[in-house]
Order: sequence, then structure tokens, then C-alpha cells
Amino acid sequence: MSEMIIPSGVIGRDTVRQEARAKVTGAAHYPSDMPVPNAAHAFLVTSGIARGRITRWRLEAAQAVPGVLDILTHENTGQESKPIPPTKGGGGSTTTLQSDRIWHDGQIIAVVLAESFEAAREAAHKVRVDYAEEAPAATFDSPGVEVQVLEETLEAHEDPRVGDAEAAFAAGAVTVDATYGTPTQHHNPIELFTTTCFWEGDRLTILEPSQFVQGLATTVAKQLDIAPNKVQVISPLVGGAFGSKGGATARTAWIAVAARRLGRPVKLVASRSQGFTIATYRAETRQRVRLAAGRDGRLQALLHEGWEVSSRPSNYNVQGTETTSRIYACPNVWTRVNVVHADRNTPGFMRAPPDLPYGFGLESAMDELAIALDMDPVELRRINDTRREPIKGLPYTSRSLLECFDAAAEAFGWSRRDKRPGSLREGDWRIGWGCAASYYPAKISAACARVALSAQGARVDIAAHEIGTGAWTVLAMTAADQLGIEPEQVEVHLGDSTLPAAGLAAGSSHTASICNAVAMACRELRERLTHAAVTANAGPLAGQDPAALRFEGGALRGEKGAAETLAALLGRTGPMAAYAEHVPHGNPPDAPEKVKQGTPMTTGGAQLPDRIQYGFGAQFVEVRVHARTGEVRVPRITGAFAAGRIINPRTAHSQLMGGMIWGIGSALLEITEIDRRNAHYVNDNISEYLIAVNADVPSVEVILVPEEDRLVNPLGIKGVGELGCVGTNAAIANAVHHATGRRLRQLPIRPEHLL
Amino acid sequence: MRPFTYERAADLGAALAAGTVPEAARQHIRPEVQYLAGGTTLLDLMKIDVMHPERVLDIRPDAAAQPVIRSEEGGLWLSAVASMAQAAEHPAVRRDYPVLAQALQQAASAQLRNMATLGGNVLQRTRCHYFRDTAFPCNKRQPGSGCSAIGGVTRLLAVLGVSEHCIASYPGDFAQALIALDAEVEALAPEGPRRFPFSQLHRLPGDTPEIETTLRPGELITGFHVPTLPWARRSLYLKVRDRESYAFALASAAVALDLRDGVVHEARIGLGGVAAAPWRAHEAEMVLQGQELTEACAGQAAEAAFAGAVAHDDNAFKPELGRRTLVRALMQAAAMEP
Amino acid sequence: MNGDDHRLQLDPRVTLLDALREELGLTGAKKGCDHGQCGACTVLVDGRRELSCLILAASAEGREITTIEGLAAAEGVLHPMQQAFIDQDAFQCGYCTPGQIVSAVSCVQEGHAGSDAEVREYMSGNLCRCAAYPKIVAAIRQARPQMERG
Repeated sequence: MSEMIIPSGVIGRDTVRQEARAKVTGAAHYPSDMPVPNAAHAFLVTSGIARGRITRWRLEAAQAVPGVLDILTHENTGQESKPIPPTKGGGGSTTTLQSDRIWHDGQIIAVVLAESFEAAREAAHKVRVDYAEEAPAATFDSPGVEVQVLEETLEAHEDPRVGDAEAAFAAGAVTVDATYGTPTQHHNPIELFTTTCFWEGDRLTILEPSQFVQGLATTVAKQLDIAPNKVQVISPLVGGAFGSKGGATARTAWIAVAARRLGRPVKLVASRSQGFTIATYRAETRQRVRLAAGRDGRLQALLHEGWEVSSRPSNYNVQGTETTSRIYACPNVWTRVNVVHADRNTPGFMRAPPDLPYGFGLESAMDELAIALDMDPVELRRINDTRREPIKGLPYTSRSLLECFDAAAEAFGWSRRDKRPGSLREGDWRIGWGCAASYYPAKISAACARVALSAQGARVDIAAHEIGTGAWTVLAMTAADQLGIEPEQVEVHLGDSTLPAAGLAAGSSHTASICNAVAMACRELRERLTHAAVTANAGPLAGQDPAALRFEGGALRGEKGAAETLAALLGRTGPMAAYAEHVPHGNPPDAPEKVKQGTPMTTGGAQLPDRIQYGFGAQFVEVRVHARTGEVRVPRITGAFAAGRIINPRTAHSQLMGGMIWGIGSALLEITEIDRRNAHYVNDNISEYLIAVNADVPSVEVILVPEEDRLVNPLGIKGVGELGCVGTNAAIANAVHHATGRRLRQLPIRPEHLL
Repeated sequence: MRPFTYERAADLGAALAAGTVPEAARQHIRPEVQYLAGGTTLLDLMKIDVMHPERVLDIRPDAAAQPVIRSEEGGLWLSAVASMAQAAEHPAVRRDYPVLAQALQQAASAQLRNMATLGGNVLQRTRCHYFRDTAFPCNKRQPGSGCSAIGGVTRLLAVLGVSEHCIASYPGDFAQALIALDAEVEALAPEGPRRFPFSQLHRLPGDTPEIETTLRPGELITGFHVPTLPWARRSLYLKVRDRESYAFALASAAVALDLRDGVVHEARIGLGGVAAAPWRAHEAEMVLQGQELTEACAGQAAEAAFAGAVAHDDNAFKPELGRRTLVRALMQAAAMEP
Repeated sequence: MNGDDHRLQLDPRVTLLDALREELGLTGAKKGCDHGQCGACTVLVDGRRELSCLILAASAEGREITTIEGLAAAEGVLHPMQQAFIDQDAFQCGYCTPGQIVSAVSCVQEGHAGSDAEVREYMSGNLCRCAAYPKIVAAIRQARPQMERG
């Protein structure tokens, strides 16, 4: 096991983002900003039906549009690109131009190529297709869905269980038995799905926003049947991802094929509405939660069953019961997850994929239990807190759930609460207060990094991803901290699949993955520099004990004020570089090789054999519900979170704040509306798919609760990107109940539910 | 977007801003052109092939032109090419017709209000998804092809003024204030100018949902006249929406009250978000007339307003929400400082 | 365009946004929806904030356009709003940021930055999926007095 790394002063310091100036001046380049001379433009054609086959193409009108260069369809592309195989992250599994089959509404069926974007768009609208259409199954309860009980059909699937929950529930003194529902939701980052491809000989370059450049490069290489080292993905900055840019999508390989055919670069900017069907999304869930407790509030039974929609061929599911079965002390736990196959695109990771929807069920049910027990919901968490998870008894590496509840409750003023629903009112506004726990697994992936040091400063090379979390900055901070210099002296290169592989920027694992790899490379540099310093006959640190030296203020410092600047040291040794491959606890020894080959190796959370690792938090929210017209507004929200070591409080604060606001939108606004007749997403635009606007968010308070975790990884990092959006939905529903006496179990909560 | 010929008529734009269109500029008024002002409806729909004019005439005035909004005898005159932002901020509009200023200010976003003109705003098209997506049959786009909305997702669609051929809702806010205040439209067609009540501008779908207005071919709205109404200072626009800003109305009410000692001498009501066209709630006004404005009375007026509502599936809540929105607006208007 | 004249020959369908990005290499303004719904394409037209994706390049002829690239005062000196966005960490992924900053500058100049509530309302036309909103408001609060001092 790796030893703990002790930071030296830069880690933990509020640090401005490295790329800040570029972002505020418009100089920052996202992939579709990068100039590519002589590019042809692509426009996708997507299916107007959800199930059936293409029987005939009518392309004459489209081909006659001036400037059109080519139109790719299943009839003229042969097998130039294979379909994307199923992955843990979802997506893929269905074909596009490989066959005449239609799997879902909005499936890519053709790619129009033209001299200009305008010509490509015009021609795409003129493409006509004849279909043999079949009636699709759209969602839960649609005729024709197939319900798959995972434990009965998937050997690798495990539903966490312990004890005899059915019996314990039947014998329970106080019980809750309720069904909850969460809607279809889409990531909708502001940056669209874009792809630019160009070939130089047999070498392909892809400019595309990506959360995993290695994964995208290797997947496209497999699809095109070319060597992986012939494909390079460049993604210097990503304009928001939230899971949508983690896995390869069908469009990329077709743009590569198009570029090869035309013999020139091809640029695609897919439309916002196409983005609803050409990538992934958060599938709708139904959940049944049963809780039983003694009158003392101790849980005796916890049963959580979930149903999740997926595409026909894919078993993708988020299985949030992996978490919900392990949060509270309970001797009898039963869970089950089922997939409901419908004629839809395959869902995939979307911010806190398991815990945002399933946390709604559990944290609402806990609130309902607290009310049935006539107990403060905070006290109910206190009574059921645990140091070990109940399924296998594995110990939490660290857990500060109650500290978070206490800190947030205090800041919120929870003790002033009158618990009676409807007791708080201001004019026509009913006021309610609610709270819920937040939790998210602490995960990490193997990652590789190269750090070079010269008299001018340091350089970090790593295929990490800056999607807005502040990865760029924590990389610079880690190197600066470990080498005793300032972040401004560290040049970071990331976002390129030819750089040392670093894993997926997802699952809140990236900071832990990349900083530990950089620290490991820095350790080698420190050892070599220290050795050079103490063995130099005439050096100021000659003969000193290496263990007593420290890197600080651009120098190596020893006893009695003796020091040698890094510049001087490097003047003697010459510039140095170190390369490290960090294999975290829980990864096999060949994990770095797997990551280089594009296989995500992210692990942690409840997936380790010897321990369990989670970040925790607590959120308290005040809602106002209009007594006449039912609008629900959130004038203030307070969240306290404990996530181990915080590398950069500035960016961690922003991530948690952004997560909480995401949670508000997720509870009150966001739903992808589906037309059951044709399985079509009706509000496929950013005006009617409602996300929170500035006016929705008057006050967000974020408290970082200090926590040290000596086990989770050498730097003690747990990750915060998703923690902030878990539990918010339940806190809001709980507050709405407090305001109105109505328990709402289906999200989003909308005015018509409160009339 | 299909190819088109772009023309710009700077003199016409300037004339529209100034408020008089001389003969020389009238040559631009032709049936074969589609007028382009702010572009917030036209370009939006051209990009998705819902509108595809062959000839576009840009009438947006130059930066130097200051579109006229002025108090004149008998009321307020607003140039059709004044921007929504300009009108929303105009002192006379804010002072004398708060409902007008509020309806403008609560619409869209600051950027859209800078771009969009008053004339274009009242002519905005429905947001009905099945109208906007050319993959779906739509009687408004193609007469006789069917209404895909009926039987589909209808949460945002209309319950008043609908027909079996079309349930699309009119999404605008400004129009509700205009219709409540008995505004008039000035328009210029190749045949010449005319002035007519705003209430006659829009048509209900009936069995011709493709005909949305009574404008003649090539006719261009040149301005609006809002009659003097001293008691319109007691007016407001209430917009109920899912999020706090930048969203279309689930239900809205433009309300003006001539209230004397708690008794309604006259009421004006426009209802948004719930109807197929800008909607004047005459029945509700008649219930209120001469009555003391109590909660119960407001409730009766609201019942009358929605008595003819026809709901489809997801918008079944709209009559109730619409009633409550109207009651809330009436009580709020009653409570305003005189 | 940021003080310089440009002559372009374009298909009439080209929007101001696409002309900026594809013809002039000014990629600061972003395409987030192309339908005037997200605000990421916000530029100043004759000093007023507007959505460049819903303006034909032809309509922009004769107008003064200011983009994010044109905001900084002189070589290396950031506009107070740009500096405030950095100081307050008013962005995360940064994609909506040019639109937010241009919109924020205009919001102050319009006189709509009087209170936090007013700022929130008048900035609601710029969507931010990372939800940096509270810090955007803080940045505007910081920059406004500096802008008013000139």
C-alpha cells in the first residue's frame, strides 16, 4: 500500500484556474474552435421513426443542392465502421449506418457532406426516407417493453442483500412502503457534440470534446480496423460533459470515414436537438422503497427495488442500490434492479448516475420514516449511522456524514424549525424546510504521468481532461506542491491521447487519479534531486540526511538554513524528467496498460474487497410554494460536504455549488418529455428542456467539512464533482412536504402537482 | 434553411421608426416579401425549414434611428419597429400602462428584448413542438395533414379557442396586454394603410389553422395605438412559469381595473399561455362589472373565463391553473396603491 | 468588428455567429443552440447585447459589433468584468463565459445591475450548465463600480 503524501503548502490553497485568462478573453479553444483549413462540413440526418427499417432512400433533391459533396447512408458505406460495443458507461449497442435497422427515434441514418454548413443543412432537410415502420415501445408500461430481472439473467450481476428483509419488514413496528419515480433527463452541456477529423496518410486526428481521449481513440481505431497508434484525439478543453462525452458515440467514426473518402478534413457540429438522441441520457426510474424501524428509530429492514429503462440490446443500468443498501446501519437488506427494454437510444452515465435517482427514493423514504416516528430527520440519520457497511461488514475508510449534518443544520438554522407541515407562511407563499444526506463513491483509476523539471520550471504531461472541474489547476498545484515551486511555474499539457494515459474524467475520480500519478512522478524527481544535493562534495547540502530535506520556495532546504536553489541544482544535474504509473488500491497490476488501451479502470466505492470508500454530505433547503398557483422556488440551500483532502478549495467550492444547483433543477425543472406513440423526445431543445437559470438561485451556501482519509489513496482525495447533486432532490421534496403536507414522489415537482 | 434573396430597405426601416411611411418608401411593401426585423421568430423557423421565404426584406432600422414611442392625443403610439426593451423601459409606458411594461419585461431574455420588435413580437408563432418539427404532420404547416399534438405531449398547449384541427397555444405576453387595453393596429398594405382593433389581428384555428392573422398579403404592421385609460395605472401582468425567468407562460393574466371603493367599474383581462390566440376574457369582465371585488367574485369571474376550456391529457391542469392565475392577478391588482 | 472594418462575401444564410467563427476566426462567441435559447453567442450590436446566431451577417452590415475579443482595453489589460470573473471564479468549463461576460458588461451599462436580484433576472438569458450563477452575480457586483468609475 502506498504511503500518505504530506502536502507542502500549495495543495489546499485557493488557486486561480490556470486557464482563467484564456477563458475570459475568448482565447480558450474548444475542439470546434480549432482552425482546420479546407474543411468540408457535415450535417447528420436522423430517423423520423423509432422502430423498423429503412426501405428506400430518395436523395435526388438533396444531392442537387449546390455544394453537396457526398451523402453517406447504409447503402454506400458498407462495413467501413463497425458498431460501438457495449460498455459499462452505457451508450452504443445499437447500429447506425451499418444496417437498415432503426433502433430508436433520432438515430443517425445518414451524413451529408458539403462545402458549407448552410449547404449541408439544406441538403439534410431535403433527404427523404421511406420506412417500414413498427409500433415502438416508448417507456414504462408501454405495450411491447421487455422487463429483464437482472439477477435472473445476468451472471455477473449482484443485488446486495443481507439477512431476511421481507420477514423483518413484516415484523416492523414502524414502516414505510412507497413508490418513487425519477424522469428521463439529458446532460445538455452548453457545448454541442462536435467532431472534426482529418487524415495525414494513414494517420487520423480527431478533434472532439472528450472525457476519455484514450477511450475514444482506441474505440474508433477498433471500429475502423486500424492500429490504435494511428489515431490521435485532441480535446484541449471541454465545454461541459457531465457524462455525455465519456464514451465514444457513433458519429465519430463516420466523420472519419467521410474525411477519408473526401480526402479532406470534415467538421461536424451536431444540433442541440440531435444531441438528445445521438449520445446518451439519464434513464427514467421507478423505485419501491420499504423501510421498517423500531420505535427507537433503528432500521430493521431496508428493501429497495428499481426499474430502469434501456435500449433493446443493452443491459446498461445504474444500480443505485449498490449505494443505498450500504449507507445506513441495518441488519436486513434486500435489493433488486430490473431493466425495462424499450425502443430508445442506450442511456449512459449522467452526473451521479446511480445516486441522484436512487438517492431520491432512499432519502425521501427516510424522511417519511422520520415523520412516522415523530423524530427529527437528522436524529434518524444519527441513530442509523455506521462505521461499517451492512452487506459484508466492510469498514468505511472515513465517514463524516453526521459532522456534515451538524454543520449544515447549524448554518441553516434548522433548530428553529417548527416541524408541523404548513406551519410556516409568508403572504401567499408556503414555506418549508427539508434535509437529506448526500453520498457518492470515492473512486480512482490507474493513471500515468510524466513530469519534467528544468531551471525554467516544471512541465506535466498527462492525458487528463479539463471539463470545468479544475483538473488543469490541480495538476499544476500538485507538481508545484511536491517540487517546492509555484503553480505559475508549472506548464501543463493535457487533453491529447498521445500523452501518458490518465483514465476517464468521470465518476468524480479524475482529481484522485491524476494528482496521485503526478505526485508519484514528482517523488522520483525529489529522490534524484535530493540524492544529487547530498552527494555533491562542495554543495551546500552535502552530507545532510536526505530525509530531513524539504522542497520549498524554489529550493531544497536543510538544517541550519542550508539550501540550494533548484536552478543551481539543475544546473549541475541538467534537466530531469520522471515517468510514473500509479496503480491504485483495487486496480490489478496491469491497470495502466488497460487504461492505455482505452479500458476504464475506475474503481472504488463499494467495489473493493476489503473496505468501502464514499464522500458524504448533507443538504438543507428552504422552499416556497405559492399557495394559489403552485410555483416552487428555492430561496436558500445549505450543503456541508466532507470529501477527504481538498486540493483546491476554490474549484471544489464551485463544483459543489454547481452540483447543488444541478440538484435543484433536477428536482423541479428537468424532464425529457416522451411521446408514447412514437418514442420521440418532444422538448428536444434548451428552451423547453428546462435547466436552472440565474434567477432560480438566490442563495447557495457550501461548507467544506475537514476530513482526513489515510487509506483512500496517497493524497487522501475523494472527489466532489457529483457529491453536490445527490440528495438535493429529496431535500426539496421533503421541504415541499413540510410546506404543504403533500408528499410528492414523482419528479419533477411542478406547479400542477401543488394546486 | 433554403436559399433566399436578401434585400434591405433602409428608408423603410427609418420611416417605420419615425412613424410615417412616405410614398417613396411604400414601393417596398409587396406581397412576395417576408419582412425581417429582429429575426427572433423568422430565422429560428427558417433554420428548421418551417418557414422558407424566397425573398426576405430587412426592415430593421439603423442604429441612428430612434423608433418613436410617444404620448399623443387619445393615447400612446408605439412604432412597430421599437424594440421590446425600448418599450419596456419607456417612462410613459411604465407610468400609464404598467401591464404593458411588465408583459414586455417578463418576456424572453434581455438579449431577445433588445432584438425583437413590437410588430414582430405580436406575430410570433406557436412553440408547439409538432408545428416546429417537420417530421410531424401539422394542419398549420400543411392544411389537412392532421394534428400530431392531439394524442401527444400537450402540457404546454392551449385549452381556450382550440379546435379539433389545432390545439397550439399562442405563447406571447405583450399581446395579452394589448388586447386587454383595446389597442389598435396600424398597418400598411400594397392597397394602402388601415387601422383596426388588435383583437381582430389574430384568428382562432377553427378549420383553417394555417391562417393565423387577418393581415392581407404583403401587409406590414407599422404601429400600435393604445387608447388613453387613466385607470390603467392599476394594472399588472402576472406570469406563472416553471422557472423564475426566461420561460414561456404556463398561464398568465394581463389585468387592468377601474376600481372605486372596492367596486369594479370596469375590468380588462387578457389571458396568456392558455389560448390559441391572444385572449380577451370578456365573460370574466362581465362577471366583475359593478361587483365588489372579493375573493369569491374573482373566483366566479375565473370560472366564467374558463367555462369553455377544452383540455387534452397533459394540459388538463391548465383550466385550474388559469383560473387561479387570474384570481391571483385580480387580487394583486386590487391591492395596488392607487 | 471590434473597431476594424471587414469586407466579406457570403451566402445570405450565414449568420453573424458563423461569420465571426468561420470567416473571421473570432471563436470567442460560441454556438450552444443556434436558436437563440442559450445566450452563448451574445455579442454587442451597436452597444446592445444581442444573439448573433439569430442575426444574418447581411443584417449586421453597417453595424458596430463588439465581441469578447474586443473587450480588453489595451494589450494585456483585462476589462474589469473579465478580471472580476477570474477573481470570483465565475466560470467552470468556460464555454458560456464569453457570452456571460459580454452580456454582463451590457447589463451594467443598461442600468440593470442595481441589486443582486436585478442582476439575476437580467442575466437569466445566459444559461450556465455548470451553474456558476452565484459567482457570476458576485463578479458583476465587483466590476460594476469599477466600470462606473471609468
